[in-house]
Amino acid sequence: MTRTLHLSLDINGRRHELDVEPRVTLLDALREHLALTGTKKGCDQGQCGACTCHVDGQRVLSCLTLAAQVEGRQITTIEGVAGPEGELHPVQAAFLEHDAFQCGYCTPGQIMSAVACIREGHAGSDDEIREYMSGNLCRCGAYNSIVAAVREAAEAAR
Amino acid sequence: MTIMEPRKHGSASDGLVGGRLSRFEGRMKITGAATYALEYPVEGVAHAVLVQSTIAAGRVTSIDTSAALAAPGVLLVLTPEDELGLMTASDWYGNRPENQPYFPLPREVSYNGQSIAAVVAESRELAVEAAKLLRIAYDEAPRVADLYDPAAGKGKLMENLSAGWGDAEAALAASPVRIEAEYSTPREYHVAMEPHGLTARWDGDRLTVWEPSQWTHGMQRNYAEWFGLPLENVQIVSPFIGGGFGSKGVALAYGAVAAAAARKLGRPVRLALTRPQNFTSYGGRAATRQTIALGATEDGVLQAIVHRGFNETSTYADVPEQTGAATPILYKVENFSSQSRVVPVNVVSPGALRGPGKNPSAFGIECAIEELAYKIGMDPLELRLKNYADHDYQSGKPWSTRRLREALTEGADAFGWSKRSHAPRSMREGRTLIGWGIGCGTFPVLRAPSAAMIRILGNGRVEVVSGAIDMGQGTYTILAQTASEAFGVPVEQIDVVLGDSRLPGSAIAGGSMLAGSITGAVHKTAAAARDELIGLALNDPMSPFRDTGANTLTVSEGRISVPSGEGLSLDLAELMAALGREEIEVTRNTLPDDAQGLTDQNNAWSSMARVQGPTMGDYSMHSWCAHFAEVRVDEDFGTVRVSRMVSAFDCGRLYNPKMVESQWRGGIIMGIGQALFEEGHVDGRNGRTVNNNVGDYLVPTNADIPDLQVISVGVPDYEASALGGKGVGEVGIVGVAPAIANAVFHATGKRIRDLPLTLEKLI
Repeated sequence: MTRTLHLSLDINGRRHELDVEPRVTLLDALREHLALTGTKKGCDQGQCGACTCHVDGQRVLSCLTLAAQVEGRQITTIEGVAGPEGELHPVQAAFLEHDAFQCGYCTPGQIMSAVACIREGHAGSDDEIREYMSGNLCRCGAYNSIVAAVREAAEAAR
Repeated sequence: MTIMEPRKHGSASDGLVGGRLSRFEGRMKITGAATYALEYPVEGVAHAVLVQSTIAAGRVTSIDTSAALAAPGVLLVLTPEDELGLMTASDWYGNRPENQPYFPLPREVSYNGQSIAAVVAESRELAVEAAKLLRIAYDEAPRVADLYDPAAGKGKLMENLSAGWGDAEAALAASPVRIEAEYSTPREYHVAMEPHGLTARWDGDRLTVWEPSQWTHGMQRNYAEWFGLPLENVQIVSPFIGGGFGSKGVALAYGAVAAAAARKLGRPVRLALTRPQNFTSYGGRAATRQTIALGATEDGVLQAIVHRGFNETSTYADVPEQTGAATPILYKVENFSSQSRVVPVNVVSPGALRGPGKNPSAFGIECAIEELAYKIGMDPLELRLKNYADHDYQSGKPWSTRRLREALTEGADAFGWSKRSHAPRSMREGRTLIGWGIGCGTFPVLRAPSAAMIRILGNGRVEVVSGAIDMGQGTYTILAQTASEAFGVPVEQIDVVLGDSRLPGSAIAGGSMLAGSITGAVHKTAAAARDELIGLALNDPMSPFRDTGANTLTVSEGRISVPSGEGLSLDLAELMAALGREEIEVTRNTLPDDAQGLTDQNNAWSSMARVQGPTMGDYSMHSWCAHFAEVRVDEDFGTVRVSRMVSAFDCGRLYNPKMVESQWRGGIIMGIGQALFEEGHVDGRNGRTVNNNVGDYLVPTNADIPDLQVISVGVPDYEASALGGKGVGEVGIVGVAPAIANAVFHATGKRIRDLPLTLEKLI
């Protein structure tokens, strides 16, 4: 059989242990090995943004990140965005209110990008939001509502 | 099966039909809790990958599997040598060829990217690695790469699509003003964000398939017929679908491969198409070409339309992309002729992509009408109003409702059309040329029978149960609203269960026919359930209402009461407890009384046989829209940006305007992609789609899309549906591309007649 690595990953504030092949991506580790399926696979080649997660607070494409690269780093996925009692993050609440999604498949990635976009200080205007949210494709076409949701959440965060 | 918890925002009336209730299943989607097909945990699952042909036409002569079979973790390799024992399934209309075997991994190759082998291993990574070790030999045959291949020819005339009245050729020849031009659209793809795939599991002779589906009962039938199973032995599970747009309506070859592999292995198999494989595992919108000739008087009264269209299809099925679909009904015209041809090329059979037919058709006629406007020096808005169709000239029937005039005038007001300067290149800011254009759109009202179940539970909750699906259109939400209104319980008290072929059958989520069809069934069922509950409350010996002397009761806000408002009033849980009932279940459907047998029902839910077209009754019924687009074109570089759009729609009554506006905008955005970016590039040497990924096949990003203003001008249309709505999903895209092409002409003076409107065509 092929070689496996033993990894300890810190995800959403919890330690997860897993044995995977070295070539397993963070995305597949989450979805196939850890039952954290909120992070979506849309293209598996870094083009669509559906797999966006945070590593040490920075947004990364988990399909282009090997699981073995993120040992010892803090990983946040969509499952870790809401509060401990399930209270929605302001970005999540704004997405619901503005109907910033339809099928919901790109949505976790959009929300992870939006949280980071606001934290990066890149939500100063609608045009800036559009630009810094353009790594996340939405084929249902919820872009207007995504901009409105990010704007509202950014204003609330100020 | 998934049960949705209700979520509610805003005012109390939001929960009723027509209210702006937030997406019912929204919380699951924004927290990552919504489970899509490939995410179901299935014990002992093996992973399959597909291997696709690298030639466009010919024969697989051999596949050497020895190295792949020897690779670590490999469980099974399937090639054309393997007898899978499948039979061809029925087509959409329920017609099935007799005793015709089905080969999802065929020896004969008819297009580049056709599945010809599969490798199953303990993990996806191992399967991918082993698949690289297959050695495939072909006997290659001549291929026709696309519609522009010199070998493509003129194809076959589709007689059933020919339409005509008056004497179009003579009227055209006699017209003082004539224009004629050819318009073309490329291969376009659905690009749903969730790639296709499935998990298949056998339990004896029962098959469970977790697969995104726009039609659980239709796909149940596909699998049952392939594998020779009774319908009830197949279960399709699809509560969430990551976008479909027409691509997830039927089971496809990869599904047969995965289910056959699972049967051979005796363990569940998961097969996920890669993003590139999505470009050839099912067809997108066929490339089209059409010529349109318009004849008119000098003051712009249309005299004749002559349309000749053709589209590519595969070598094994004649699939029309009806470029003549919108042409006959947008304008008043006494002389009309249309013919359509299909041209077989080596491509996967084209499919239905948002606004099939109507979409490329509107691109032709809506560009042509503006060409006529410029030719005679008339405002394109005025020309459209001048030739307004007072009835359907094709069927001769009156419109049920047609508020296209209001769409045009109210859209124009909101857009500021009156400030337009007519001459091309007459509006600019510095080196940026500005242009305005209009495109009208339409989509027929299709209706299909549907069934629904209402369950009143002992705890007082009310479940709405249907095999219908929600891929983002808002089915969960509008069915909660429909049941709330018809039953008289608040939306918070309702659960909606969808997306499973074991549940009552419904129309396909396609052709914009689901919402109108399934709300009718749920409304009927919820009213019947309310009546049944009232009947029990009045007559059951255990009911406290027996002593009130009431001969009728009301259900409102979740309470059942004597009508005066003064007497006895119980909530549903209290009444159910008093009656000693755990559950009351009521099922109704909208089939005619003479078609209630089991076979009739199964056929109705799993085929298109009972779908009603737009002119099958006394009226001609359609959704309508008018798009107003502003573009900014860089004079030096030819780059086009859509800077503003206003779109006005007549879709009848809106069941939930919040969901509808999202659908409209989604259609418009896909239309902007079609206008500016989307084009499958085919390598003429081998028929390969070279831009088979979302970095090279460009779909709109957030930064490409301006604020889109959408307006409803519709009125309830009770001919079209029980609750007065007309379809909203498809019509949004129809007319967008011509509006933008017309705006680009207005900005630049250059008429681009082939999509997309890329810069090399403008400089």
